[in-house]
Amino acid sequence: MTPAHFAFSSAFMLGLAGLAFHRTHFLSALLCLEGLMLSLFIALSLWALQFDTMNSAALPMILLAFSACEAGAGLALLVATTRTHSNSRLQSLSLLQC
Amino acid sequence: MSYLMYILLFGLVLGLVAVASNPSPYFAALGLVVVAGVGCGVLVGSGGCFLSLILFLIYLGGMLVVFAYSAAMAAEPFPEGWGSWPTLRLMVGYVVGVGFAWGLMGKFWYEEDWLGFDGVVELSVLRGDVGGVSLMYSSGGWLLIGGGWVLLLTLFVVLELTRGLSRGALRAV
Repeated sequence: MTPAHFAFSSAFMLGLAGLAFHRTHFLSALLCLEGLMLSLFIALSLWALQFDTMNSAALPMILLAFSACEAGAGLALLVATTRTHSNSRLQSLSLLQC
Repeated sequence: MSYLMYILLFGLVLGLVAVASNPSPYFAALGLVVVAGVGCGVLVGSGGCFLSLILFLIYLGGMLVVFAYSAAMAAEPFPEGWGSWPTLRLMVGYVVGVGFAWGLMGKFWYEEDWLGFDGVVELSVLRGDVGGVSLMYSSGGWLLIGGGWVLLLTLFVVLELTRGLSRGALRAV
């Protein structure tokens, strides 16, 4: 395993752990999700650069566009949660009610 | 130069440790900004200047700015930084986990040359990654149209989520 491969693989695993073991704030979990997308962008870019396959250099751009969509949807959920529960803490999402 | 790349890769992993230990969103957004900057350095060191610029402009300047001012929704009187005990414990745990994984990879470690991809084969007008991204506009034109359609759809998803219909009495946000 090359150092760069280990770096972005462990970055992905750390972001996944941060998302799974979330603590109080919804926005912290969304930021861990953004960290996942960032590690994937770096991974795809390094794939295109280090293996000299420039045809796949468009793939990180498409990933970035779709991760922007996902970030927008996540923030809309954050706004909806703040409107109905008056805060965005994850412990208030426990009553199975809207 | 390879020392600089190693430092940048260390910064990548340590920055995501700082984000994954889930401090208050102010500090997590700061950690993500640092990780994105360091990731841009890694891409520039590997020869991808255009992709690094795209990361800075779109990711940092577009998406993270939105996250930064959404952090105002998580305002609390005593935001928990990286010095508080639960966050520090998680950070130490994650660093130990990464070190453990690195120890597991010991047999398979491969230190290659950090050789840039262009400049050794042929002369050309454009850099490699610029030429690769331009394929998105020529052969991948339908993918571009599909991506634009998905972005328009996401706009309507966001509008519908924040409209809220008849649920939710609070409209202060």
